[in-house]
Amino acid sequence: MFSCSQLKSVSKPGRYAGGEFGQIIKDKEKVAARFAFCFPDSYEIGMSNLGMRILYGVLNQADDVWCERVFSPWKDMEERMRADGVPLCAHESGDPVRDFDFLGFTLQYEMCYTNVLNVLDLAGMPLYAAERDDTYPIVIGGGPCAYNPEPIADFFDLFNIGEGEEMLPEIVRLYIKMKEKGATKAEFLIEAARTIPGVYVPSLYDVTYNSDGTVKAYTPKYEGVPAKVTKRIVKDLDKMFFPEAVVMPYIECVQDRIMLEVFRGCIRGCRFCQAGMIYRPVREKSPETLLRQAKCLYENTGYEEISLTSLSISDYTRLHELTDGLIEWTNEKKVNLSLPSLRVDSFSRELMDKVASVRASSITFAPEAGTQRLRDVINKNVTEEDLMRSAGIAFGSGKEQVKLYFMNGLPTETYEDLDGIAALAKATVEQFYATPNHGKRPPQVTISVSCFVPKPFTPFQWEAQDTVETLEEKNRYIGTRVTDRKIRYTHHDARVSHIEAVLALGDRRLAPALVKAHEEGFEFDAWDEYFSYEKWMSVFAAAGIDTAFYANRRRDKDEVLPWDIIDCGVTKSFLWREREKAYGETTTPSCREKCSGCGANCLGGKDICCPNAKN
Amino acid sequence: MLSERKELNEYPPLAEPRTVRLRFCKRGALQYISHLDLQRTFARILARAELPLWYTQGFNPHPKIVFGLPLPVGSESVCELVDIRIERDMPCGEILERLHAATTPELDFTECYVPERKFADIASAEYKIHIDAAVPSDEIACAIKTVLTTSPLKMMKRSKSGEKEVDIIPFIKSADAVPDGTGYTLNVLLSAGSTDNLNPEYVVSALRQRLLLLRSGEEYSVMRLRVCLENGEEFR
Repeated sequence: MFSCSQLKSVSKPGRYAGGEFGQIIKDKEKVAARFAFCFPDSYEIGMSNLGMRILYGVLNQADDVWCERVFSPWKDMEERMRADGVPLCAHESGDPVRDFDFLGFTLQYEMCYTNVLNVLDLAGMPLYAAERDDTYPIVIGGGPCAYNPEPIADFFDLFNIGEGEEMLPEIVRLYIKMKEKGATKAEFLIEAARTIPGVYVPSLYDVTYNSDGTVKAYTPKYEGVPAKVTKRIVKDLDKMFFPEAVVMPYIECVQDRIMLEVFRGCIRGCRFCQAGMIYRPVREKSPETLLRQAKCLYENTGYEEISLTSLSISDYTRLHELTDGLIEWTNEKKVNLSLPSLRVDSFSRELMDKVASVRASSITFAPEAGTQRLRDVINKNVTEEDLMRSAGIAFGSGKEQVKLYFMNGLPTETYEDLDGIAALAKATVEQFYATPNHGKRPPQVTISVSCFVPKPFTPFQWEAQDTVETLEEKNRYIGTRVTDRKIRYTHHDARVSHIEAVLALGDRRLAPALVKAHEEGFEFDAWDEYFSYEKWMSVFAAAGIDTAFYANRRRDKDEVLPWDIIDCGVTKSFLWREREKAYGETTTPSCREKCSGCGANCLGGKDICCPNAKN
Repeated sequence: MLSERKELNEYPPLAEPRTVRLRFCKRGALQYISHLDLQRTFARILARAELPLWYTQGFNPHPKIVFGLPLPVGSESVCELVDIRIERDMPCGEILERLHAATTPELDFTECYVPERKFADIASAEYKIHIDAAVPSDEIACAIKTVLTTSPLKMMKRSKSGEKEVDIIPFIKSADAVPDGTGYTLNVLLSAGSTDNLNPEYVVSALRQRLLLLRSGEEYSVMRLRVCLENGEEFR
């Protein structure tokens, strides 16, 4: 627990003070297991995460389990903690994390890995799992980065592969049962790996490598330990636990609103998109469930905004039913509806009027690539016509600002495609003037270009990322093509994307480099002001790691990939077929139009859109 | 519990929106929440409590929420005041009950009434300050009183026009200090309101600078006890 003088000496002390409405307090003497759930970034980022809200609620459903929150202290507080010898404590009780039964991390982006190590260190725990005896908490990882957990595998006891709503309580239950019988941590881990689907215990596998540096094989050390760990999903989202009361932060967070999760998965299959593959099969909640949950959440939170969150919200089959049902009471209560991601091919005036908030002056679309050819390669399946129609609707209803998201460095990209980015922005400006009833102020079109990072479990998982030099040159080039003052151009730092690629595509041999990065004081790498490319490269060099091997090398079809130990439902052969189609500039229809046989239907799921699904 | 409540339309509408004043405490963890964050939190508390709020009639309707005297970060209080406007005749007891269910004990509501005075009448605020000290003495307690009553007591004071040195004694209306088992308990009455206002942190800083208190990591705490009128009576 922090003292008053510690809290008074740091910026934003509300990050650490706790006491929020809705936090769960239990009697620690009366619980059988204590779970510290960590989002390894600042409080404002962590409190914005829906997954953490859900799992906090799921775990605390059991009377004999107490789940508390943990966040990375900001730099000023960390300095204070180290100076005063204060260990990292859980948010609710203020008790040291080191004394908990579990320390779980949600791994939302690769650039949080140094924060994970720093949290372990601040908690007073050895970084390597092998160096932690039975008195330390069991360290669990989950979230999207757990689909290739290998770069951080040595620091974790166990990973949750897939959705945690059912798996995580099963893990804790097994632990309580075995702890009562006096089992060791090692015995628990083997039993969990053998009996709970979706559990991956990295220490139970031998990894061998070929002479060229690629992975040769993963071999389970014990009988009954699965040769491949299959992702867990929740089959029926209507019956799934969903937190109808949440912890209300006092300080402003990034997502400070009701997040209503409408469905999981995505019918689209964009070839660069990891989320679109790993969350398959598509499973929807019914409008009845959603309307009930939304009302309940409003009564329990008082939030003034409801965001419908899902990968591509306009693909929800009963969207109008849902929005109509919400508007019945949200207007009266002065609650705004917001939709985070809109596809230009399904954007309509009707939809926009429903979600129109007087304050929002800008609207965002993601064409991702500048030419139809490249959009076909990545299977984005939207046309320039779609974009112009959507921008026209936005301009015609009084908006002046449109934001367009693109990527550069995509497979097969040429400078013609980059010219296309600038041309599309220019066409959007022209669309403004061609729209009757456009606003009085001149339009502002922002193009935001990020660098392509190949991700595991995508058709582009075999691809080489462009080198930093090439990406930077492309960034510069786009800048030279943008001449109109009504177009604002921003781009991501290619050097961050390079490190991200190494960590996304890496294997267990990266661990020593990460430890070295931690020892050099790296943290908050997701924050521009703390990221240093030069320092990262020197750390990799010192650890004898060639970053190009991971980021800039095209992999062979038959290469064993570090994440082949995981089965995410979507098969490797489907991903390869999609890759081949990308190079043939051929698109694949959405799951709703035609099943392309990705394999995710083997996982089951109620009302999923795959026609061949097993229910 | 929510379902047992009467529906809002069961309360008769008011011809004119009614202003009601709420008194609440802000203690413990809540002392670290800034005024801006408190304002946002309040809108949500009022929504959770499901009060018959009156909304401004403009382009961007919002409830009218006016705070009496912002509390600095790092101070606790048992006497915070806020005015809200309602459009239906809900009894004050019912309002308090609903608010109580919508918040935590550290931010709890203790009174609800129709106000007679305007916040502009607030002239001062009384604070209890506790300063930890290993060996408290009568001599130091006397010295504290002397420092806080002898002009000039020049401090760098922040204001909208920047930082400048000012004598803070005119803003200290009374000051008392007694030693106790763990340090010193101070009772100070400081100028408060929109014209003259002194943050109690300046008092603590002054003692830190002049008497070398709080130099070894000792803790201190500040509690606002009441807000007062020009004549020293409690403001309601």
